[in-house]
Amino acid sequence: MEVVERQGDYLTMSVGPQHPGSGHMRLIVTVDGDIIVKVKPDPGYVHRGAEKMCEVRTYIQNIPHLERPVIIDSCGILFAYVLAAEELIGVQPPPRAQYIRIIMAELNRIISHMYWLSIYGIFMGHSTMFMWPMGDRELFIDLAASIGGTRVTFSYFIPGGVRNDIPPGFKEKALKTFDYFVKRLKEYEKIYFNNPLVLKRTQGVGVFKREDAISLGVTGPNLRASGVASDTRKDEPYSMYDTIDFDIPTYREGDSYSRAWVRLEEMRESMKIIRQAIDKMEAGPVKQPMRGQIKGKVGEAFARTEAARGTMFYHIVSDGGKFPYRVKISVPSFRNLIAMSHLLEGNRLADMPVIYWGLDYWPVEADR
Amino acid sequence: MSVSLARGIFDAFFASIKSLTKRRYTLRYPEQKLDLPDGYTYDPKTQVGSPGVKGRHILYLDKCTGCSLCAIACEGIADCIDMVKVDGTWPKDKKAIMPQIDYGRCVFCGFCVDACPFDCLFMTPEYELASTDKRKLVQTPFQLGTLPEKKGLVEFIPDEKSGAHHA
Repeated sequence: MEVVERQGDYLTMSVGPQHPGSGHMRLIVTVDGDIIVKVKPDPGYVHRGAEKMCEVRTYIQNIPHLERPVIIDSCGILFAYVLAAEELIGVQPPPRAQYIRIIMAELNRIISHMYWLSIYGIFMGHSTMFMWPMGDRELFIDLAASIGGTRVTFSYFIPGGVRNDIPPGFKEKALKTFDYFVKRLKEYEKIYFNNPLVLKRTQGVGVFKREDAISLGVTGPNLRASGVASDTRKDEPYSMYDTIDFDIPTYREGDSYSRAWVRLEEMRESMKIIRQAIDKMEAGPVKQPMRGQIKGKVGEAFARTEAARGTMFYHIVSDGGKFPYRVKISVPSFRNLIAMSHLLEGNRLADMPVIYWGLDYWPVEADR
Repeated sequence: MSVSLARGIFDAFFASIKSLTKRRYTLRYPEQKLDLPDGYTYDPKTQVGSPGVKGRHILYLDKCTGCSLCAIACEGIADCIDMVKVDGTWPKDKKAIMPQIDYGRCVFCGFCVDACPFDCLFMTPEYELASTDKRKLVQTPFQLGTLPEKKGLVEFIPDEKSGAHHA
């Protein structure tokens, strides 16, 4: 922490930019004693120009670098890209590929939420809650790695389908892991979610009212914690989500505690979705073969999906060449950044880590 | 209020004490190593890969024609493949150039494997590529041509009771 200026009773200081949990970003905080008066977020430390990089790379070469902004949710950020690129290239993925995509996207959602949960635990000084989800996350990484080949950045979705089929024996392995994890989530509730010490730290902290959440344009689990049942998977079903039956966990309170519960319930729903997707999947091709240089037709396409942090939106403009002319990524983290200064004002400085990480803000994704 | 407080704290303690009796599922690396499945391969006819681990590459020297399609595929991704001159005579490769991979840059996406039309560049499950010298990260075609020795023996088996166990 560095003191920026002193003005009467107020003290302005800079928190960060060294990695307050997930990536480099800075908060310029003005405090009156222990109470935060004003917060100015200062993002941009990890800007890599992913959108500009897309303009000099082919549709396939764009895939590895586009998943770098959120490596823990790499399929979440790629899903919208491949949907938009498919529209421009003019390929349709086979049904089996669409179900495999759902499996991978939901596995990534669980992996991402587990990472979030463990850091949320350590931000409150609860070391057990850091160790347990990080350990159980390995089981899901193992499942995803058996399909994707690597641990986090799979480069697995490509326009026209997915790169390979799921391995034999995946279903048994996945169901065994889910049976274990459903029981494990009850233990999480005992040690953390119903723990009186955690309740004291999170209940009523950073309350986000329904009207504010809607008018500030917050998406994803943060919006659902404020009582709005909005989920792109239900509102505008893409891929095969319309054939799958699942619920949207919603809480009315809008505080840091309900934001944690939404994510816990979402992991349960994700497992439900994967179980259904495995059952509904029929044998068949996983990719539509493409010959020669891949070129997009002249025009533009957009796609909106639900990533782990909220609504992921891609807008691709093509001039008919092998490179996209312009790729615009609208990421959920940047939308949730608006909420941060709104929520922090009026709270104590000691509650800042809880509110900051409760929003699941990922600086690298926001800066892209 | 105080009853629920005491109960909540008791439950939390009990849950953590119960986990003491559980078997751990971490490995004693490097004494124990995982038995990984085969590496990622790709069939150029059907254009579909096999589910496999994306680790160090394997180059089948006798099949390589030096077409440099792998290097072109990597250009916009990591730019880690260079075509270098190799010693000896190769009936399929008149120019005698073959890929050399810089593992300091490789992101293990496997798009070079997808680009190879001659079934000669695949991936192996070898993942221990770290080195104290960055020049050693650049692997020559002859280094890439060797199959890795099998290192891991421990198998990771998911278990609905304790998460996972090893055999």
